[in-house]
Amino acid sequence: MLYDIGLTITYSYDSPAIAGRHLLRMLPADLPGAQRRVNAWLDVVPEPAERQSFIDFFGNEAVEIVFREAHDEIAFRVGSRVERIARPLELDMSPDLSRLAHEIAEWRGLGPDAPHHFVGPSPRVGRLPDATAFAESLIAPGMTAFAAVKAIGDALHAEMAYDPDATTVDTPPAEAFSRRRGVCQDFAHIMIGALRGVGVPAGYVSGFLRTIPPEGQPRLEGADATHAWVRAWCGWETGWVEYDPTNAVAVGADHVEIAHGRDYGDVAPVVGVLRISGAQTTEQAVDVLPVAAP
Amino acid sequence: MGQESTATPAVDPVSRLLADYFPPDGAADEMLDPHGRVRPVWRQFVEYLARLSPDEIDRRCARGDQYLRDAGVFFRQYGAAGSTERPWPLAHVPVIIEEAEWTRIADGLIQRADLLEAVAADLYGQNRLVAEGHLPAELVAGSREWLRPLVGIAPRGGHFLHFVAFEIGRGPDGAWWVLGDRTQAPSGAGFALENRVATTRVHSDLFGEARIERLAGFFRSFRDALQTLSADPGARTAILTPGPLNDTHFEHAYIARYLGFTLLEGDDLTIDAGRVMVRTVAGLRPVNVLWRRLDANFADPLELAAESRIGTPGLVGAVRRGTVTLVNALGSGVLETRALLAFLPRIAPVILGEPLRLPNIATWWCGGAAERAHVRAAIDRMMIGSAFATHLPFETIETTVHGGQFRGAARMNVEAWLEAEGPRLVGQEVVTLSTTPARVDGVLAPRPMSLRVFLARTEGGWQVMPGGFARIGRTPDPSAIAMQRGGSAADVWIVSEKPVEPVSMLPRRGAVPFARATPAALPSRAADNLYWLGRYVERAEGAMRLLRALHVRVAEASDPEAPLALAVADELEAMGVDAAQNVPAGLQDILRSAISSAGNVRDRFSIDGWMALNDLARTAARMEETVAPGDDAARAMGVLLRKITGFSGLVHENMYRFTGWRFLTVGRSLERALHTVANLRALADPGAPDGALDLAVEVGDSVMTHRRRYAVSTNRETVVDLLVLDAMNPRSVLYQLTEVKQHVATLPGAEVNGQLSALSRAVLRTQSGLAVLTPEELDGFRLGEVAGEIGAISDLLSDAYMR
Repeated sequence: MLYDIGLTITYSYDSPAIAGRHLLRMLPADLPGAQRRVNAWLDVVPEPAERQSFIDFFGNEAVEIVFREAHDEIAFRVGSRVERIARPLELDMSPDLSRLAHEIAEWRGLGPDAPHHFVGPSPRVGRLPDATAFAESLIAPGMTAFAAVKAIGDALHAEMAYDPDATTVDTPPAEAFSRRRGVCQDFAHIMIGALRGVGVPAGYVSGFLRTIPPEGQPRLEGADATHAWVRAWCGWETGWVEYDPTNAVAVGADHVEIAHGRDYGDVAPVVGVLRISGAQTTEQAVDVLPVAAP
Repeated sequence: MGQESTATPAVDPVSRLLADYFPPDGAADEMLDPHGRVRPVWRQFVEYLARLSPDEIDRRCARGDQYLRDAGVFFRQYGAAGSTERPWPLAHVPVIIEEAEWTRIADGLIQRADLLEAVAADLYGQNRLVAEGHLPAELVAGSREWLRPLVGIAPRGGHFLHFVAFEIGRGPDGAWWVLGDRTQAPSGAGFALENRVATTRVHSDLFGEARIERLAGFFRSFRDALQTLSADPGARTAILTPGPLNDTHFEHAYIARYLGFTLLEGDDLTIDAGRVMVRTVAGLRPVNVLWRRLDANFADPLELAAESRIGTPGLVGAVRRGTVTLVNALGSGVLETRALLAFLPRIAPVILGEPLRLPNIATWWCGGAAERAHVRAAIDRMMIGSAFATHLPFETIETTVHGGQFRGAARMNVEAWLEAEGPRLVGQEVVTLSTTPARVDGVLAPRPMSLRVFLARTEGGWQVMPGGFARIGRTPDPSAIAMQRGGSAADVWIVSEKPVEPVSMLPRRGAVPFARATPAALPSRAADNLYWLGRYVERAEGAMRLLRALHVRVAEASDPEAPLALAVADELEAMGVDAAQNVPAGLQDILRSAISSAGNVRDRFSIDGWMALNDLARTAARMEETVAPGDDAARAMGVLLRKITGFSGLVHENMYRFTGWRFLTVGRSLERALHTVANLRALADPGAPDGALDLAVEVGDSVMTHRRRYAVSTNRETVVDLLVLDAMNPRSVLYQLTEVKQHVATLPGAEVNGQLSALSRAVLRTQSGLAVLTPEELDGFRLGEVAGEIGAISDLLSDAYMR
């Protein structure tokens, strides 16, 4: 599926920011075999004094920008054409959870896809005893890792209410779970904590959802802003699988990845350090439109 | 003593000294060999000590303690009620080690430093150790000190480690063990130096004769090595500190002063086009070697811990571009991971082709079933704690099992804990540390000891500091060795068989031609703190003068409600000072602010000045309890005023007349000008109560001058003339503004393209405006305008230099 994607994030400050440095992870990813970036541009207003790109540890493209002049508004605009290659669902060849532990231990490497980065607590997803207990109650003996991912994700979706007013970007996942409400970021963080709690390596994916669903299908939650879902490692044979707990669906042709990491902190679209004295407000606008086949 | 020796058969003084010294069974002792004989290397010291009476030893110890107090050495202790500064706990008896033995220790530690360097290069590079199964991947991935943004970046200059420390201890069989590795930002080298100076004062007559290796050569080599790393003569080398609230900030300031490096905080730095720059009053200046005393996670909020408020955004980016050398490299802290001790003995042959020359404390990572079983079986001899911990075994405060028993709050079945949490745990064999003599209640008693040894990378390879930092337990229990738990610190003497050469930090005579160095540009943050120090001290002085004047009048008229008293109370209230309190809390707050500003620039500030300021605040706090209103309070303010002018005198007599001093002076002048204007607006107003003009002159410290200059009693014109317009009176507003004008003219950027800067113009406008006024023209309204203009000058100064 081919998409034209537009993303705009604006910040406005009550009193001008003196200077600032930002790290942006906003461009759609280029993922061999899964997602092809045909083109992409990132436009920043006002014009930054410095701009530099690099590839981060997990393979995401990060853009570092610096402002030296005072400014009271910033706009980041991304435009991109992306081809998403849907991978057909395969036969579940994943091991059960005890076998999975052995397969993790056998992975001798620390590359970005190594499961070891995704088993322990990460800065924004610590241990979640309640979510882990919730997950444990869903695991049947001999259940495969892949089946566990789906069972936990489906159950979380049923348990949680989608509520944009219940949490903020900094609400700890344990708190969102105790309220049983939140947005895609909370759903993803809770599921990651639950999966890690039962021994399944799990990480965070940020990205887009197509704005208008294919005919006859319901509109998915999270389409009007950047979205988030979960990736989980299900053993050597199956590898990484992706699941969207906010919508209880496997990630397919309607999802477009921007970046992935251990949790939101690794992929936040805008990380900024700036000197300001007043309040700031931010707005996001997203468009993901299928391009008709020529 | 003479009498005693005639009454009884001669008792050898050494035997008397050691009569009650009994090291515990099962531990080695530094001073006595296993047969209870004094080791040869200790003999000279023991004989010297035995010749001294207990009183004489007390006097000598007091000499060392006095030195430490005078030098401002303290340590910060953390408790339930926050942190407090405590006197430095010096153990007055040094630990003495023979040079031949030291050489073996040094040899083993150099090998270990090379090994750790290679491990760091592998963990941030090829990951061969993990790929070949020498190190479990989860151990590296699970460490919060393995910094993913630094993976794949080779440090500028090629080395991760430049300054490391090892904590070592001696086991019961006399062999040394490494207890822990310090690779992140090892502390203690500066304290070792201070211990040395203080211990030398205690045992001054012995120190000259004993063949003790000196420490200065080690520091000189490291300073030279850092300067070599810089490569660019235009860029500076600095020490990066987390700030004055850190428990070792004193040491950072001390080492900065000792080595002549700038002490910087994260906020002093900014990254410009990929280069690390210091914000100074003269603009951005490059720095390309940072001796980092800040934990790496806090170094860059953009790419490392986002919650850090003490880092520099973009520092990782600068490292990525290879423009700066960090000592040690960001990410080196992963080498401190406790579980690594379980693997280093096996990694050494792989990397170095030879086994460890100095073993480390026996450690088992409980992620393996066989290791777990071993730890379970030997539980009575084990300490169990976090595999990822980076602190030393004796410092631990977390939940830890010791000899099968839980320490700390959480309790559960140890075996279940091992099964559930295995990969996150390590077991370490308990080492019974050797004992060394400490003075306890006037006699020598054996106390457990561990030693921190420092290594610096120089052009010629690793150099080991000949000495170190010994920690001595408060009680015979080795867990009491941590200073936070009452342990003390001792000097370490490496005693040579040959005479040793004195070394000092000064260059050898004739080796380097004399050259006068220009001080580096002043960091903006330092300028800010010095400026406010000047203002706070002057503000405190102003408040004290008002308070004294008030209490003198209360004593005379005993009516705190008299109109004049109320006018003064109003003025004090505007300064946040409550006149109803005898030594007001508001005054003490001003003094605390002054101390806090001074504390932020401790490296630029004489120790005497620092002590004087603290003494002032302590005296004020003490007086709060005892002082009565009226005469007593007036006298108390007199005492405080003498102390504060003593402080100002000390600073202004002794401070080098460079940019920093100018900011301090400008702060003082602007505050004094503001204060004088405020006084006159209240006290020289036509509606002011009787006696107000005399009080204004008194508060302006100009009573004598007024008497001499005007043949009449005070009236509004004479008072305004003297306190505002008289260019010869050092208390007048015009005098202060003239001073400010002169200082501002010498600051960087005073002129821009041949034209006066906005700041220079504003100062000139106010100063010359006043110079042409007559007292009659200077009414209340005009005084209000002058106050506003002075406030605007302060803002312009901040904008120009303190951002």
